[in-house]
Amino acid sequence: MSTSFLVQDAQLPYCKGCGHGLVLRAFGEALESLHLPPAEVAVVTDIGCVGLADALFATPHTVHTTHGRSTAFATGLALADSVLGGARLKPVVMIGDGGAMIGINHLVNAALLNADVTVLVHNNFLFGMTGGQNSAFSPEEFITATTPAGNAVPPLDLAQVLLASRASFVARKITSDRDLSEVIARAIVHPGFAVVEILELCTGFATKWNPLTGAQLKQVAEKAGYELGVMREEKRQTFGAGYKIRSKEVRTRGGQEKTPAKPFVATMQTAQRLVIAGTAGERVQTAATMLGQAAMHCGLHVTQKNDYPVTQGTGFSVSEVILSPEEIFFTGIEEPDAVLVLSGDGAKELERTGVLARVTEETLVLADTDVHLPELPCTIQRFPFRTATGPKNAALAAVAQWLDMTAALPMEVLWFALEERFPKEAESTRASIGKILQTV
Amino acid sequence: MSTRQAEMQRVSRQLVSGNRMVALGAVAAGCRFFSGYPITPSSEIYQTMMEELPRPENAGLALAAPDEISALAYCVGASMSGHKAMTATSGPGWCLMIETLQYALMTETPVVIAVVQRLGPSTGGATQGAQGDVLLTQFCTSGGYTIPVFAPSNARESFELTQAAFWWAERLRTPVVLLSDKEVGMTLESVNVNALDRRPVPERAAFSGIGRYVPYACEGMEEPPLFAPVGGKVKVVATGSAHDREGKLRKNSPEVIELLVHLQAKIAAHAGAMAIYEMDLQEGAETLVVSYGITARAAREAVHRVRATGGKISFLKLMTLFPVATAAIEQAAEGCRRVVVAEENLTGLYASAIQPLPGGCELLRVNGIGNQISPGQILEATERAR
Repeated sequence: MSTSFLVQDAQLPYCKGCGHGLVLRAFGEALESLHLPPAEVAVVTDIGCVGLADALFATPHTVHTTHGRSTAFATGLALADSVLGGARLKPVVMIGDGGAMIGINHLVNAALLNADVTVLVHNNFLFGMTGGQNSAFSPEEFITATTPAGNAVPPLDLAQVLLASRASFVARKITSDRDLSEVIARAIVHPGFAVVEILELCTGFATKWNPLTGAQLKQVAEKAGYELGVMREEKRQTFGAGYKIRSKEVRTRGGQEKTPAKPFVATMQTAQRLVIAGTAGERVQTAATMLGQAAMHCGLHVTQKNDYPVTQGTGFSVSEVILSPEEIFFTGIEEPDAVLVLSGDGAKELERTGVLARVTEETLVLADTDVHLPELPCTIQRFPFRTATGPKNAALAAVAQWLDMTAALPMEVLWFALEERFPKEAESTRASIGKILQTV
Repeated sequence: MSTRQAEMQRVSRQLVSGNRMVALGAVAAGCRFFSGYPITPSSEIYQTMMEELPRPENAGLALAAPDEISALAYCVGASMSGHKAMTATSGPGWCLMIETLQYALMTETPVVIAVVQRLGPSTGGATQGAQGDVLLTQFCTSGGYTIPVFAPSNARESFELTQAAFWWAERLRTPVVLLSDKEVGMTLESVNVNALDRRPVPERAAFSGIGRYVPYACEGMEEPPLFAPVGGKVKVVATGSAHDREGKLRKNSPEVIELLVHLQAKIAAHAGAMAIYEMDLQEGAETLVVSYGITARAAREAVHRVRATGGKISFLKLMTLFPVATAAIEQAAEGCRRVVVAEENLTGLYASAIQPLPGGCELLRVNGIGNQISPGQILEATERAR
């Protein structure tokens, strides 16, 4: 070991003949040849014998991580540096075949992002540190501690997985390759994700149980159908570089809140608790929000609690709205002041969750003409919300009807909230709702 | 200008969700990095951060992770570079993050995780609220290390406690959980945005650059080590394995054990300072109601009703759940005969974490799942006890 990146004359924590030492030397030579400032290199190690390498690095940063996750931590380092930092850091991951499999999702995502991370996969075909158990990379018929009769499962071709994951630099080498350090150096300088899988010997277990020598690694590769050498080396924009361009184009969704020319004044003196129930996708929650906005323009406190099934656009949609001159503590509704029912989906949900059972003689129940409801302690007042205004405006029509009957807020403030939310449709919506209000 | 117009200008109410306020609180705290994975009911935090962080004034990075393990690992990597980082999830995703959370704890890497609870176990009920993860956020480490946990009960607190979470994460170099739930996270409510307490979080205490950097050396057991970024001028050694001050793996070394003790000691030493709560005590009250998160609102309402009818009752809302605000609980329970702990889970999880109660107070639990605990349920328990 004779590079300034590595600890001089370090005692390697590896078995005699172990491939890890050879990769380490090639990696050290590669760093040396690139003349990188050591402070711009972060060696990120995984778990296993390969994870003992940290102490062997004298000058670069070292981050020893959890099993399989090394690539993910390195990706975080690389992304933060590329967007928030100086875009100079070179994280290099040292991971084994076991770590590569348990963390394969991290490799795939780093490749897709084209994060500026280099991954050195130390493939010795088994788990060495834990006693020589088989891995997803063990060749067929390979003898390991857990495949005493020979491994029956074909080995993963990681390079192909990462090629399919759009990795911009992919190579597979053998420890004895004379150009190993040169290929590792190319991988490190490559701007973007680079992986070098290195086939190597585990002399602790693999060579004891299998007729395997360094010279035979090439045959192992051939038998597994593994391509050797640099398989891809192409330029592609890194995530960090792309982010800087795209972040200028982020826009905020939703409408624009306005300040009324003069403040609206609410007439209601005590809290009003409304339940609005309908069908998902029919603007039930939107109508509730417009009512909430209207109340806020009057200086009231508001809560809006929404409920819907796990699915997004089907089934029921229920909003519980509380409007109050005082601070609102409990956001649920024990006894509703008003229940607005726009569809059968909504009615069924109110019955199922017990809301209808909590309706009292005092509750104002406004329902669409065609909705079936059980007998309630109060009169059910019917309106043709759906047919007169269309399903998407039915909830807002019911809210307007409630305001018309209770005068809790001035009607004008609801139209103001409608204008804020849907400036283009506001006029026509208001006209169609107006027709219902006139018919009562 | 009329008084009312002046009042309206001073009060600028917006209808916002707790989730949105977590995101805005994070930005206000100086969060620069967010990686997320969608999960109901926390997804809005992720979406809001994707909109907010790239803005020129925030100059941050928000991105999609392929899973929750990556989401937190990306944050930890970014934090190791010196940037304030956060992710958000719910119970099922939290389970996947625990491995990486422990890594953050061991490497003394600040990070904030917003956990918006839903009904469990397993995938449970995605759109149903619950307070069932309160002990899962706390006792998720090998060794039972205290993870600071802050629990908002409304949108405003979501904003303020997210800042507190960042403050303590950076101050003590530790992972911190912001524990929300579906009802706090997804309920929209009016918030006076002009009255929000904005507190940018200072940068973590950094190595001066003079002398040799020893990554895990700290001034006494109760202070975190000085920070140096991976990628900065001085060599950093970080490791999730049991290590000495240099970051070297050591077995059976007193120095390693000392550092493991330090990880707990630095949290315990600041427990008092970390305690955030709202105490509303009444002279002569025999009952104290203790609650947190969404249920604290029902508890507040119940207390309000008791007092409206001339009854006497004390109330304690805990916003710091861990480390347990022992002194506050002792003070609030003083002179009381019983303590009612209300929370939306099956067995009274947090109640079990604050036992034994001071002064031999009787513990009454108000629990339930599937619906928000109502003020009525809490009233019933307090009346039954009398």
